[in-house]
Amino acid sequence: MHLFFQELLNGLVVGSLYALVALGLALVYGTMQIPNFAHGHLYMLGAYVAFFGVTVAHVGYWPAMLLAIVVLALVGVVLERLVFRPLRNAPEVNTIIAAVGVLFFLQTLAQVWFGGDYRVFPTPYDKVVHFAGLVATQQQLIVIAAAAVLMVALFWFLKRTLTGATIEAVAQNRAGAALVGIDPNRVSMMVFAISAGLAAAAATLIASISLISPSMGFTVILKAFAIIVLGGMGSVPGAIIGAYILAFAESFGGTYISSNYQDAIAFGVLVLILTFKPTGLFAKGT
Amino acid sequence: MLLQVRNVTKRFGGLTAVDDVSFDVPAGHIKAIIGPNGAGKSTLFHLISGYHPATRGTLTFEGAEITHLPMHEIARRGIARTFQTTSLFSHQTVLDNATMGYRMHAATNVFDALLRTPRARREETESREAAYEALRFAGIAPLANRIAGSIPQEAQKRLAIAIAVAAKPKLVLLDEPVAGVTSEETVEHAELIRHMANEGYTICLVEHKMTLVMGLADSIVVLHHGKKIAEGTPAEISADPAVIEAYLGAATHA
Repeated sequence: MHLFFQELLNGLVVGSLYALVALGLALVYGTMQIPNFAHGHLYMLGAYVAFFGVTVAHVGYWPAMLLAIVVLALVGVVLERLVFRPLRNAPEVNTIIAAVGVLFFLQTLAQVWFGGDYRVFPTPYDKVVHFAGLVATQQQLIVIAAAAVLMVALFWFLKRTLTGATIEAVAQNRAGAALVGIDPNRVSMMVFAISAGLAAAAATLIASISLISPSMGFTVILKAFAIIVLGGMGSVPGAIIGAYILAFAESFGGTYISSNYQDAIAFGVLVLILTFKPTGLFAKGT
Repeated sequence: MLLQVRNVTKRFGGLTAVDDVSFDVPAGHIKAIIGPNGAGKSTLFHLISGYHPATRGTLTFEGAEITHLPMHEIARRGIARTFQTTSLFSHQTVLDNATMGYRMHAATNVFDALLRTPRARREETESREAAYEALRFAGIAPLANRIAGSIPQEAQKRLAIAIAVAAKPKLVLLDEPVAGVTSEETVEHAELIRHMANEGYTICLVEHKMTLVMGLADSIVVLHHGKKIAEGTPAEISADPAVIEAYLGAATHA
């Protein structure tokens, strides 16, 4: 039973990371139908910006996270404006290829700028916490709490504010939104900024638990895509639920069955769910 | 003159959907645009609202040219339109739909929203009030919390009008406001449109139901194969040989 709760905790940590990354992906897909394959690499870039903030600029952990969020939000805006907006009316495959192009561009950029080495991201929260026989680092608990705060904030923003409602409006009917005076291009930029900012926050949270490297975006983007397929393409609640399902499947599967098959088990669960619910858990009706 | 349409032409490839059409819409007027199927009525609305750019010609609204402005900018100048295909944001509540209509009058940006500035809070209250007012105007306030896609067809038509009214526009373009609505409801709808005109909205409507058009319009523009073939009062139009020919011709080919 003890092992169970320990794995529950680990699943929560990983699930929180997945949720923040998948949310950004779902938001962009849900609003603009852009499958942003470069999303994982925005996450990677966010980790490096925060790393720079902590190790070079010495601004401290939380300011470094804020810096990463702001820088990545700007990168997101630039990406929308320079890469995706011109392809708005192009066939979907062009958008996909452009996203893959951005992915390799960012990867190469990171390799040239930061080198290919794995780096350790220092955290001030490395103490181990014991409670009820469970073991966690402070950083793990921070990941869980911060992710929850960010998700609640995002939900509140989307559902309860006028500005957030414009995102929903553009997602449901882009031309209709323009008809009531909403500039869809501005909303697109805002969505990319939020999406990349969330990725940067996720990266800063998790980087001090794992290591950072220019290729760290690859694993996370695969998982994030699996999650938004599982959750229902473009669904925000689906992305959150899907993230925790995948993370728990990984952590419990890895413990109770075999850690060698951890990913196979996780994706097995995905296939199983999609067999019964092919459109995902929270498919958006059309 | 509120809206001036001058020599407006729209070509899609080899097809000329709107061909050299000119007319004026004076403030306070109800202008109807009629014509057989495929006459170019909806395309004309698309041109005025900026959904499609005109191939040639100019559109002038309140003395300023709007021909090549993007849709959201035209909406902000005060032209609202409704769609043939019912409601705009079918997964949101009726109230949220109407709120979106008012959204462009709010200056709130993402930072206001996140920081809960007084402006954000004030504008959120204002927009709710404006939305409720628009729903009451359209007679669907009791449906405020229903999901827009789930309310009856006729109520969706009213919602479309509420969204337009919430935007506090100067000109409202109504695209087939009573398509798919029963004849009793059509009478009620006509009253609503009349009520809009009395409240000072200028209205331009595309409609097939002649009873509605003849009873409401101050003047009528008749399109046929993209060309304007007649313009005048309902009495003049119903006596116009070219119009009768166009409709009968269309009927025999159908």
